[in-house]
Amino acid sequence: MIEVENISKTFKLSKKQKKELNTKDEFSHAVKNVSFTCQPGRVFSLLGPNGAGKTTTLRMISTIFKPTDGSIKVCGLDTQKDELAIRKKIGFLTGSTGLYQRLTPNEILNYFGKLYKLSDTEINQRKSELYSLLDMESFQNKRLGKLSTGMKQKVSIARTMIHDPEVVIFDEPTSGLDVITSENIIQLIKSCKDQGKTVIFSSHIMSEVDLLCDDMAIIDQGEILFSGTMDQFRSEMKEKTLTGEFIRIVNEKRAQ
Amino acid sequence: MIFTIFKKELIDTLRDRRTLMAMVIIPLVIFPLIMTVFTSISKSYSKDLAEKTLKVGVLEGQDNNEILAFLDTLQTSGKIELIAYEDSNKLKSEIKENTIHFGVIFPEDFNSSLNGNQTGKVKIFHNSTKLGYKEQLEMILEMKTKALEESRLKKLNITKENINPVELEFQDVASDKEKIGKIAGGILPYFFIIFCFIGCMYPAIDLFTGEKERGTIETILTVPVTRVQLLIGKMGVVVCSGLLAATLSLLGLFLTLNMGTVIEDPKLMEVITGILSPKFILTLYLLLIPLTIFFAGIMIPIAVYAKSFKEAQSIITPLNMIVILPAMVGFFPGIELNLTTSFIPVVNIVLSTKEIIAGTINYGYLGIVFLSSLILAGIAIFFSHKQYSKETNVVI
Repeated sequence: MIEVENISKTFKLSKKQKKELNTKDEFSHAVKNVSFTCQPGRVFSLLGPNGAGKTTTLRMISTIFKPTDGSIKVCGLDTQKDELAIRKKIGFLTGSTGLYQRLTPNEILNYFGKLYKLSDTEINQRKSELYSLLDMESFQNKRLGKLSTGMKQKVSIARTMIHDPEVVIFDEPTSGLDVITSENIIQLIKSCKDQGKTVIFSSHIMSEVDLLCDDMAIIDQGEILFSGTMDQFRSEMKEKTLTGEFIRIVNEKRAQ
Repeated sequence: MIFTIFKKELIDTLRDRRTLMAMVIIPLVIFPLIMTVFTSISKSYSKDLAEKTLKVGVLEGQDNNEILAFLDTLQTSGKIELIAYEDSNKLKSEIKENTIHFGVIFPEDFNSSLNGNQTGKVKIFHNSTKLGYKEQLEMILEMKTKALEESRLKKLNITKENINPVELEFQDVASDKEKIGKIAGGILPYFFIIFCFIGCMYPAIDLFTGEKERGTIETILTVPVTRVQLLIGKMGVVVCSGLLAATLSLLGLFLTLNMGTVIEDPKLMEVITGILSPKFILTLYLLLIPLTIFFAGIMIPIAVYAKSFKEAQSIITPLNMIVILPAMVGFFPGIELNLTTSFIPVVNIVLSTKEIIAGTINYGYLGIVFLSSLILAGIAIFFSHKQYSKETNVVI
């Protein structure tokens, strides 16, 4: 379970950034008073345009960033006090396959397994489960730099799931991927939900959200504009399509 | 956990072609190759010059004299070729055009000066941009001028002792080891310091900036390890790469010297080989380890701050100059290891190494060098940690 309570995040602006943004403000407010809850066995989506604050929010949940204000609890643990304990419970995956190109999938999974303090037996067991599930046997000993994008994404998934996390965080997981590779991610999200894991993912693609989510929040300019279940969102819709409604909510807020 | 990180980063680094090039190929292959080729070219040039016929222009109609006669006799051996010119301007222009090497002009009173026990002045035109030729002619003419000097002394019935009231005889008490250490000892630290710096550079950029650029940083920051553990694991690899590059540069240097084409003097070679004692190597590493940590500590904050490989490289590469200049101190005579210099980073290592090679190291100063290097290394680690802890530095 993830409980986000009134979190805010500000960044100090450098002179160069102030010039680029044409502002005299010392700080940029990436996230302002954001609150929501993600339940186990449900998929929560953070929907927003580019630069809305989705990645910053997910980075705070995954303990990469510390919130300036507010608190986040993951599986009952505070992100500011128990960051190492939380990291053991979460899996984090982004669309850009951030992996080591000069290592093989086997070496990568061994490395991350050890970082998650799994024993050699546990690592080998998890590896064989994941290889069979993701059909990775044929390229487990090839260096990542020589693999296709789809194969790399499978390695990323295996890396995220090596320690069988309770909470899975996906930051625009299908961004820049082809349909077939995206399908692997969608299947992963569904299987995480079926296993009772807490799943949060960010996206700006409404069709993905419609397909996968139970709960959602719309975020823009660091503020939550809507938070509730998908059914609630559909029932309150003033536009004909989900995308149309998403654009209407964002534009309405920006016009204020 | 730190060892797991270290091991993975080491494997990753050793598979990076750029790092391997800077760390292994350049110090061990390219550098000895360049040195051997350079020495061979230089030797072959000197040999060619010694065998070359020197073309000497003389003015027509000059009275014959002993020098001219001497040069004339050398024509048969092929050492000299005399070419006659009508006027001095033509002679000078042909020297400029490199048609001839020298122009020798004798004054009208040359013979009478010589016969009257006065000094006969000879004007020799040459082109100083043609290196080595002047020295060749000087060597040839010295034989004749010495012979003339001796015959004049004999004619005047005086001995050399009569005109030399005092003879200075300097006796060198320095051993060959000391001489080599003090004079040529600067070369050794110059190479290993430069290669140590270059050896640290690519791994530092690859392991810190590269991780941001490739997007692997987010992945690694969500695993249950602290930033200190990550930093130490990665820094360990940067330091090991620097040490490995320094070691290989020394190995490359000694391999080149042992090939026998660079140094032919067996006495000198014996001294150089003798330097490689276990005590020397141990002391050298004792100094090199904190220096390498210091280098890593300079580069890591930059690599952490930079947003791309290019940006990191463009900031770190000019730092090379800051290291090269103090590393060159060893070549300058007169700069010694003392209380002041033993506190100056890089300079202190260079001077200590020179003294160690010469066998004249002051252990008090060596202690200061080691301690000050350790303190600097500590500051470097602290500063790297501070930069690596900043959220905005680590994640793009």
